[in-house]
Amino acid sequence: MGLGRTLLIRGLSLLLVVFVVLLMVVIVLGATGVSDKILKAYVSEELRQIRQELSQRIRDPQELEKALEAYKLDLERAFGLDKPWYFRLPDMVRRVVMLDLGTSRTITSFSGSNKVSDIILERIPNTVILVTVAVMLSALVGISAGVKIATRVGSLLDRITSYFSAVSYALPSWWTGIIFILIFSFYFRLLPPGGMYSTPPPQEPLARLLDLMLHAVLPVLTLMAAILGGWIYVSRTIVLNVAQEDFVSAARAKGLPERIVMRRYILRASTPPILTNIVFGIAGSLGGAILTETVFRWPGMGLLYYEAITAFDEPLIIALTFIFTLIYAAARFILEILYVSLDPRVRY
Amino acid sequence: MAETRREAWRVFWSSNISKLGITLLAILVIVSLYVVFTYPLDFGLKYWNNPSHWVDYPKGVPPEWTKYFTSENVTEHRIYTIYVPSESRFVESAGLYIKRYSITFDYQYDEFPSFLSFTVFNVTFSREPPIIFLEISRPDGVSARIYTLAVPGPQEGEEAPYMRYSETPFRVFLSGDPSVAQQLSRMLKRDFDISLTPTEINTIGPEKILFGKPDVGKNFTVLKGVYRVDVVLASGDEEDSVGYVRFVVAGNVYGWVGTDSLGRDLAVGLLFGFPVALLIGVVTTTLTTAVGTSAGIISGYIGGKTDDIIQRIADIINNIPLLPILIFLIFILKPSIWLIVFLLVAFGWPGLTIIVRSMILQLRTSQLVEAEVALGASKWRIMFRHIFPQIAPFIFAQMIFATPTAILAEAALSFLGLGDPSLPTWGQILNYGFRDGGVYVGYWWWIVPPGLLIVLTAITFVFLALGLEPVVNPRLRRFK
Repeated sequence: MGLGRTLLIRGLSLLLVVFVVLLMVVIVLGATGVSDKILKAYVSEELRQIRQELSQRIRDPQELEKALEAYKLDLERAFGLDKPWYFRLPDMVRRVVMLDLGTSRTITSFSGSNKVSDIILERIPNTVILVTVAVMLSALVGISAGVKIATRVGSLLDRITSYFSAVSYALPSWWTGIIFILIFSFYFRLLPPGGMYSTPPPQEPLARLLDLMLHAVLPVLTLMAAILGGWIYVSRTIVLNVAQEDFVSAARAKGLPERIVMRRYILRASTPPILTNIVFGIAGSLGGAILTETVFRWPGMGLLYYEAITAFDEPLIIALTFIFTLIYAAARFILEILYVSLDPRVRY
Repeated sequence: MAETRREAWRVFWSSNISKLGITLLAILVIVSLYVVFTYPLDFGLKYWNNPSHWVDYPKGVPPEWTKYFTSENVTEHRIYTIYVPSESRFVESAGLYIKRYSITFDYQYDEFPSFLSFTVFNVTFSREPPIIFLEISRPDGVSARIYTLAVPGPQEGEEAPYMRYSETPFRVFLSGDPSVAQQLSRMLKRDFDISLTPTEINTIGPEKILFGKPDVGKNFTVLKGVYRVDVVLASGDEEDSVGYVRFVVAGNVYGWVGTDSLGRDLAVGLLFGFPVALLIGVVTTTLTTAVGTSAGIISGYIGGKTDDIIQRIADIINNIPLLPILIFLIFILKPSIWLIVFLLVAFGWPGLTIIVRSMILQLRTSQLVEAEVALGASKWRIMFRHIFPQIAPFIFAQMIFATPTAILAEAALSFLGLGDPSLPTWGQILNYGFRDGGVYVGYWWWIVPPGLLIVLTAITFVFLALGLEPVVNPRLRRFK
């Protein structure tokens, strides 16, 4: 099977995941009556506008009420509110996909709009920056440390790392973040406790970038603390396993220098499984981003989640759930391409 | 079988990490049992999340033992509750019965109390409504009547004896009450010749004036010595009585772990978190393992269409980003502990299923299974009587290893504000501490202990899993 076909299958199965999530979301919304609530809010919003327009033309209050009643019925029919919720599923799916979920209750975008799509779209880059930086740094540090440690199995460093990864498995990263704030921000006053920029943000581009980096240190460290331990450990194990393979022994027996054995034989063969591990790590990081952003008030989608929960903002939560799934699937697909092009064996 | 079990236990027990794990587990279980037997079931709603239960506790103060690390003598929390009057007499000239409840204490702290409050419970009278006075005598001889309570008289249709404040006690927050400030303003004028308006007194803090002597300007320094608080019940009938009177001199430290900004004793809440965390961890992983293993065995052994369907479902669920979907479902369906457990199981089983299936694929071709088939054993019998026991040790280790994930997931959800409001957990305490800004003002006793307990519980199971590894995977035994 060719490369394209493999990727097509993976792509389709990820699309299926997105679709299943979407379906689950709209069914839960319909069955619990939340979709009714959202659509009714829509209707009353439109009615309010119509009332304003009509009250200019129709003077008689009774006439006005009658006309409005007719409009209301029309609108309810248009939105499908006269039918049970399961007839509205396709329409609801369309709404979620288009982020056409009306307005949020209290939360607004930075520019003041309270349209759900506006609020979310401007937050996406902030989350993507944070997660990408943290994942790339973790991959860099995790893999190189793992490989290094694999060459010194049983050493003190090796044992420390093993304990570190065991502790990191049991450590809630968001709590680590809170402790970071307590130590570095409250006691030592070294780093800002949260946000993306100081208030007011510096105007000069260079100072602005510096300010951003200063604010990013703790959130990135927190995200890394959550994933790094596991990655070092897994990279170490994979490299160790590959190093015990026969073809590595054969290369050594040929008298190849250790440097070349390491680079051409061990590392090349270890890359695909390590990459698989990172692919799955992205999932953890996205979930971790929700918590980390909350702790550091980093204005991304994760913090928005928390704000929406606190404000009981249903449309926002629905839209965020969908966008998170979508971004996750997209990230998975990009890494899948990388993965398939690196490891010829995966082409099934 | 018994022999192998003993051997497995020997291997397990021989490592220090298992001993540590077992010890920690024993502590967790003992504390949980203590809580289960001593706490009321409705603890969350009736006590923990009920602010009126915590009014007489100091707000946001560190644990009591921190006083050993400061040079100052920090005020401890004192609650004085008196049930029996120390003096009862009849004043003929006024025709009144006087009952006096006296509290005497030696105040030797370097700091002012954080607040003062006064409570009266269950006033009973048969004719005229009594009057209650609160008087304080200070070490310097100054005394003042700082509060007067006129008990409301009988209403139409009510019959004697009349009961007042028998359901909810009458409570005055003395540090902030306008009439107290007025009385203190009068006391300062009379005894110290200082003019301060009641508003100024409330800004300084009535407790500082009552427990202090005037310094330069509007400053007060602590007046140490013996104080006497008298609560006087003046009534027209000898039988009239008071259930109890209570005077609170609020401290600046409290208990083992301190209090949060509502005055809740954190030690009490943290203890309650033990059984909840264990329950969530154990129930979730047991169910996840049961579902995951059964699905894996069926998928691997039966094969064909069943296998395809199970693997497809497992693959889809395995690829759903967990936290966003959990947030969505719990938010829409309203938080409850059983919903959280159900969802963690519903989205947690596929990982195990995929591993178990691959193990079964190897086992189903073994000679043992072939022999069973030849003997005519049913599919179910083979799967669960013959195949399952072979992978059971591995499954058990997996179960222990998965427990921290469930505990951490619940803590994360609680931290996001999606915890079950009827069951306080460590995550919820952290959520409240974070939301209330406890981190930014350095309330470490509110932030550090709950997180440490989460880590402790999670790491207990990590230790157990590490200890089990050489049992399950004999190749690792060479280190012994």
